[in-house]
Amino acid sequence: MNQTVHDELIAIRDLQISIQSEGSFFEVVKGVSLSIRTNEIVCLVGESGCGKSITALSVMGLLPADVARVTGGEILYRGQNLLGLKSRDMRRLRSDEISMIFQDPITSLDPVFTIGSLLQEVIQSHRKVSRSEAEKLAVRALEEAQLPDASKRMKSYPHELSGGMRQRVMIALATALNPSVLIADEPTTALDVTVQAQILESLRRRQRELKMGMLLITHDLAVVAAVADRVAVMYSGEIVEEASVNDLFDNPKHPYTQGLMGAIPDITARRGLLHAIPGRVPPPQVPPPGCEFAPRCSYSIGPCWEKRPALLPTSVGKLRCINPQPFSR
Amino acid sequence: MILNKLNTPENTTSTHAVAWEKQLIAYEESLRANPWQKQLQSITHNKMLLTGVVLGLIVLGLAILGPVFYDADYARQSLRNAHKPPLFEGYLLGTDGYGRDMAIRLFIGFRVSLLVAAAVTALSLFIGVILGMIGGYLGGSTDRVVRSSTDFIWGFPLILVAVLLVGGLGEGLFPVIMAVGIVNVAAITRVVRGEVVGLKEKEFVEAARAAGVSSYRIMWRHLLPNVLAPALIMASYLIAVAIIAEAALSFIGLGAQPPLPSLGKMIADGRGFLRINHWEATIPGIGIVVLVLAVSMIGDGLRDHFDPRLRHERGRKKNK
Amino acid sequence: MKHVIGRLGYMLIVLIVSSIAVFYAIRLSGGDATAAALPGSATEEFRQEFRASIGLDRPIYLQYFAYISKVLRGDPGRSITNNASLIEMLKKHGKNSLILGGAAFALVFLIGIPLGILASLRRNSWADHGIMSFSVIGMAIPNFWLALLAVWLFASTFQLLPAAGCCSPKQLILPAIVLAFEGIALTVRMTRSAMIENQNNDFVRTLRAGGLSEWRVTGKHVLRNALIPIISLAGLRIGQIVGYALIVEQIFSWPGIGQALVTAVLRRDYPVAQFFSLILVVLVVLGNWLADTGYTLANPRLRRSK
Repeated sequence: MNQTVHDELIAIRDLQISIQSEGSFFEVVKGVSLSIRTNEIVCLVGESGCGKSITALSVMGLLPADVARVTGGEILYRGQNLLGLKSRDMRRLRSDEISMIFQDPITSLDPVFTIGSLLQEVIQSHRKVSRSEAEKLAVRALEEAQLPDASKRMKSYPHELSGGMRQRVMIALATALNPSVLIADEPTTALDVTVQAQILESLRRRQRELKMGMLLITHDLAVVAAVADRVAVMYSGEIVEEASVNDLFDNPKHPYTQGLMGAIPDITARRGLLHAIPGRVPPPQVPPPGCEFAPRCSYSIGPCWEKRPALLPTSVGKLRCINPQPFSR
Repeated sequence: MILNKLNTPENTTSTHAVAWEKQLIAYEESLRANPWQKQLQSITHNKMLLTGVVLGLIVLGLAILGPVFYDADYARQSLRNAHKPPLFEGYLLGTDGYGRDMAIRLFIGFRVSLLVAAAVTALSLFIGVILGMIGGYLGGSTDRVVRSSTDFIWGFPLILVAVLLVGGLGEGLFPVIMAVGIVNVAAITRVVRGEVVGLKEKEFVEAARAAGVSSYRIMWRHLLPNVLAPALIMASYLIAVAIIAEAALSFIGLGAQPPLPSLGKMIADGRGFLRINHWEATIPGIGIVVLVLAVSMIGDGLRDHFDPRLRHERGRKKNK
Repeated sequence: MKHVIGRLGYMLIVLIVSSIAVFYAIRLSGGDATAAALPGSATEEFRQEFRASIGLDRPIYLQYFAYISKVLRGDPGRSITNNASLIEMLKKHGKNSLILGGAAFALVFLIGIPLGILASLRRNSWADHGIMSFSVIGMAIPNFWLALLAVWLFASTFQLLPAAGCCSPKQLILPAIVLAFEGIALTVRMTRSAMIENQNNDFVRTLRAGGLSEWRVTGKHVLRNALIPIISLAGLRIGQIVGYALIVEQIFSWPGIGQALVTAVLRRDYPVAQFFSLILVVLVVLGNWLADTGYTLANPRLRRSK
């Protein structure tokens, strides 16, 4: 682990986002605060629908304007609030300083253009270079993303590549301009298990090469264990725990995190039921009056229902719980 | 099944917890409530569609019931009253070149158009579904024959077929129905075949096959219900096409013979008198437009109801 | 490449079958060719001789082969009614039809696509509703009626444009618009839905994340993807225009192939009817083939066999 001080690149402060459903708006991101620092991989973990993708999209300014709205908070990049930026300025930052790769590479690449032309287009819209220059840069980006036969592949169409190769193209697209921040939204979920590990490795290598601050969003704890430096656990629109990866796995404090850890099937155990967390995520239309997790929590007490607990610093990170209990496997 | 019971004893006394649980139950109930209500809601949500469907039903009602209320003889001629504009002495929409009542002719014309279109479409639906299922399911050379013939007919200009039939089969409704019917059969067969080919790969067909169900049975019981929806959607569109086709053919001179009014023929008759009484040509034309609009709006409404329903649900699942 | 050859072969088969169908249809439509060509006073023997000279006394399939070989050699014969060379007629009428058809074809895309794009960019605005209503109504208007109305309004009432005849640009305007009308309505609709569908695709998100401007994303990428189905259907548009041209040419007295064909059928002028039907069928088949090829070319996913 790096001992050097990590500068804070992205500071998400108390972000609130609402989504429109059947006429009215409901809060789905309820005051999220998170930092992304240089040369560090932060994993944002949570189940589907907890708001992690939406948070990521809002950093890039890619929220679908007709259904989602930022209702509070700020997103600072090197001190500047991205939420107030004009679209032209935000556009300049995208891919050049802040990048994002998405989950489903099959549909994420324009099928009627060669990957070479896609790369060139992105490069040329940010740098004043000639076509051949851009082409060279594109090939280099593909090579650095470890795409085999990079220069030949420039002329390929997305449908001619496998899922893993397409994701490498995405990585190349996102890192060609040496951004400082990379957001990866479930980059391996749609891939075969064998390819997953390779892609994660390529991602990590690229991150280390460019010393990027990376936000890796996933619901898979195995991915977290493999690459994370720091972990933030998200539940129902808020961060409930944050810690370094080792601390989180050794000693999960929040009941939800504990539930996640406990849900991992133990290969050494002979039998026993799989431990699932009872209940379901509360719908955004009917939020609990106090702690979001209280309805499903084994340790909940009266005060848990009265007021929403704050995210408070602990010895190893942060925690949003007023009645944590030690974890027993 | 909402929540599992809360674990710690203290929770059952927390008033907040109880209140919230009540709210949650109410919310989930509202989601599950009355499927008819939800369907009505989704229909009324789209205003344009609603106006279309309502208009469509009104027009259809007029078309079918009009003659009941407006009692007149569509064949009665009267030289004295020829070429009169609408609202002349009790003639609601005026008279044509033979002094016949335009309004009643319009209504009867609606009926003729609808009848022909319905007959053609019903026939082509029947044949098309059978052909499509056979071709799609059996595959191989049968399929190739079916596919090539539909492709061939599909591209063939209808008018050419009709014009050639003029000499061949003479006038009257039969050649019209033939010509339009053939093209419609091709369209339906295409759709059905496509669906069957897609469905053939699905597990439930394999399962039925493995259980030893005969091909005929499979087609009848399993494939047919699934194929009916897209076939009907295509059929609703084809009715509109059939109406225009019949009008075009009767304009040329094929189709319904006088004195039975046909909207296309009425336009042809009124063509020469545009300067004297343009209503003779404009009214049947507007009639066609309105009739076709009505039918296609209802068809669109049906399609939007059954189709994007699926598309929306798929979309919702993906985004979350 | 194999695919293209396959389609060509298929097209040839369709051509042959179509020509046979046309041939038979005309032959079977009964009537006596001699009635059109010879005066009523001709004796029966004379008629027999006449028929033999044209070749009407041989079995039908022989007639067919004879005919096709003649056509391919460049001599389809002469019109019965006025003894004009069919090749000459083809040149003259064909040119006119090409002008009209070409104009209509161009109009369909020059008007239809921009309107469709406009509607898709301003969804649910007044412009969108207006354009879509126009398109829906446009598809419901029978084109022969539209032709009549157009003539009545623009020619007789307002005296703006000529009602009939060929071949000045002014005379071209009305028939071309009438011919293109339904195609425009359909194209608007298709363009709009294709644009909207592609705007919601995932690759748009990736492109935006790449920092590309909205203009680029929509104008280059979304548009290119949306055009695929539209281009593929352009060939079918040819078939549709050919079909409608028959009526439009008749109404506007535009001396094209359609008009000649209709006249010939009514007058039982077999050589003309046969030859021109054949020409039209060839055009339609070509159009369908173009549509097929066009789709394969435009959509990279189909270009190389996987």
